[in-house]
Amino acid sequence: MSESCGNPNFESEALMSRRPKYDKTKICVRCKLAMGSVVIRHVVYCKPCFGPMVATKFRRTLEPHINVTPDAGPRRKALKAPGSLLLGFSGGLGSVVLLDLVNRSYFPPSNSTGDASSEQTKSGNGIGLRDEKAERRGGKDHPRNLRVWDKGSVCYVEICGAFPGMRDRTEEMRDLVNSNFPQLEFISARLEDAFDDAWWNAVGGKLVDGAFRVDVSSEELHLSAMSGEATPADRLQKYISLLPTQTAIPSAIQDLTRLILLHTALYRNASHLLLGTSLTSLSVSLISSISQGGGFNVREEAQEEWIPPDSRSRPSQIPIRIIRPLRDVGLKECAMWAWWNGLHIPGREKHPGGKQGVGALTYNFITGLERDFPSTVSAIARTCAKLEPKQVSESHCILCQRPAQPGIQDWKERISIRSFIDSSIIPPPHVSRDGIFAKEKSDSGDLPSPGLTPLLCYACHTTLTSRSPRGTARNADMASPLPSWVNSRLSDSIATTRKMGEGAMRDSIRDFLLEEDP
Amino acid sequence: MDAQLFKAGDRVAIGASGGKDSTVLAYVMKVLNERYQYGLELFLLSIDEGITGYRDDSLETVKRNKEQYQMPLKILSYEELYGWTMDAVVAQIGKKNNCTFCGVFRRQALDRGAMSLGVDHIVTGHNADDIAETVLMNIMRGDIARLGRCTAICTQGEDTIKRSKPFKYAYEKEIVMYAYFKKLDYFSTECIYSPDAYRGHARAFLKDLEAARPSAIIDIIHSGEAFEVREEVKAGQKAQQTCVRCGYMSSNAVCKACVLLEGLERGRPKAEIGD
Repeated sequence: MSESCGNPNFESEALMSRRPKYDKTKICVRCKLAMGSVVIRHVVYCKPCFGPMVATKFRRTLEPHINVTPDAGPRRKALKAPGSLLLGFSGGLGSVVLLDLVNRSYFPPSNSTGDASSEQTKSGNGIGLRDEKAERRGGKDHPRNLRVWDKGSVCYVEICGAFPGMRDRTEEMRDLVNSNFPQLEFISARLEDAFDDAWWNAVGGKLVDGAFRVDVSSEELHLSAMSGEATPADRLQKYISLLPTQTAIPSAIQDLTRLILLHTALYRNASHLLLGTSLTSLSVSLISSISQGGGFNVREEAQEEWIPPDSRSRPSQIPIRIIRPLRDVGLKECAMWAWWNGLHIPGREKHPGGKQGVGALTYNFITGLERDFPSTVSAIARTCAKLEPKQVSESHCILCQRPAQPGIQDWKERISIRSFIDSSIIPPPHVSRDGIFAKEKSDSGDLPSPGLTPLLCYACHTTLTSRSPRGTARNADMASPLPSWVNSRLSDSIATTRKMGEGAMRDSIRDFLLEEDP
Repeated sequence: MDAQLFKAGDRVAIGASGGKDSTVLAYVMKVLNERYQYGLELFLLSIDEGITGYRDDSLETVKRNKEQYQMPLKILSYEELYGWTMDAVVAQIGKKNNCTFCGVFRRQALDRGAMSLGVDHIVTGHNADDIAETVLMNIMRGDIARLGRCTAICTQGEDTIKRSKPFKYAYEKEIVMYAYFKKLDYFSTECIYSPDAYRGHARAFLKDLEAARPSAIIDIIHSGEAFEVREEVKAGQKAQQTCVRCGYMSSNAVCKACVLLEGLERGRPKAEIGD
């Protein structure tokens, strides 16, 4: 119960009066006939009306973004996506509900074409979407009845490689998808794929001769050549172990997973990547992203279009649309949909440190607040939908590949003391003397060692450099491996942005210089 | 310095509550003004909300600060401005929502106090934690108008006095430590009618975030500075106008303070506060 002011033990008026669960009546607000079965933000629905309500929200969010060009007039054109469909699958509630809705809406069983098979019969007691027979009027060759996506796939990214001893759930997820959604192809990926040259090559990435590693003890994130052989899992574990805070670990896993899904979508010629982010999860993501400095990318948290920066496989450069079709459907609605349709939710595997992440803290905060202030979740999403970045971005972060705000380092320099060059100032323990000397060299005009910092967005740079008294363990070797897409772009950008010494510059134009008089 | 908040000859009022933030602000402004010859004329401006056992005590601290820092002090009370003390407001409406009344009245009171002092500029002691908390609150409440301006270090409307928050990037911890090491004389008690539950949740969340990730506060401020309200949304917002009753700036024909006062006068404590 909410406390407003004062001590509720002594002052009865200090307690806010609890609003009734429903506004006026227990009768369904939609059909106005049946007794309601569920209350969604003070609005009552009966079981038969609840299904179409969720399905309408789902389609209303997704369908305007399916065709390459959105419908201009009032008459909607037939839906036809320019590529295939990829669904990100985590095993959580939202992603299972997403699979179910996509499967029912766009991939009906092949034997149902032209007959009266409806999802009502498939799921027995469940709640259906629509009458398939009515949808198929005009015959199976009518443009309306063609498949929106020729092919649909489900990609599950297994994260157990990051944490030794964690359970591998790939087969469990494969069984679930294959048995419940046979129209959709199951694809498995692993988090360590991000560090695997073979995977990178397989998804059409550009292989480079040498990989880079980054020194996470310096603010400039100095780069050096990678030496020695290591398995992708070893590289991933090293990357995770060298992150400076516990909160950086869930963020890093989220970013790696997102990029693996995007590159998988690209390789499979997908035009759409759908994620099962519910309204509640979206609000959590938005607040979590803002709390980690991702305000510049607040639009991308809800919806984004991704054009790969160095794609060999897609010369036409059709962007992949990342859509969250459940972004108007709350967690409670998802749970009711799953319950009434008998969906099995395997759940997401908890990983070490996950509870201490900003996402987990935000989730607890938002869901706690939702109990007493039910409109908070939708208010967050609606408010953030009214925002846009202040500046135009001319570059993309090399790590998360989202638009990067210019002038980040200048901003950081301006608001805090960041120079430890003065010998009287004792640097904090995480800042190595080598890092300071490298900065000194670069400031004094000598050749600077290349750094990752100018290529990162604020959130990624802070994730790699922000420290905490409860930070992760210090290693003697603070050089971290980098994901394949970073190496690929670094090989280009380092070559093009390296500062040249006067001698090297002179050498490069030697042939064009007039000889000096003796 | 980068924001170029002041210029020589400015008459600046420091919003002084007697708390740690405004006391440190007054001290730092005085020190910098003298050390670097800013040429500012500094005043202390306090608002007496009329909360017995809280504001009367903190105003004693401000009066001591006046002597310590040799600055003129102006105290303006809700009672003389509106005819109501917060004690009287709470007696009428109860403790629920009283922070809304106090916040609306205070903003106007500061502006009116500044006008009576003839100052060009009001500085307040809002610190980084306050700004981050406000960003989160405005997002959660859907207050687009305030979200658009809450991270600005300096705000000024067409007819309003310039307002600045010089401690925008200073953490609350830093201010507390500064006050402690400088042995500043400040008052540290929570308002007896505060905190409101919603803000309390946001504050607790922010503290949890900061414990897990110390850069969280500055990260939220950076986020708030990085985005803005979309042009088409701004276009749909109400234009600034003048209250037909009191002449204060307002987004409606009658300003919020006058709406609230009317509710109090008519004995309608639960007057809707629409934006």
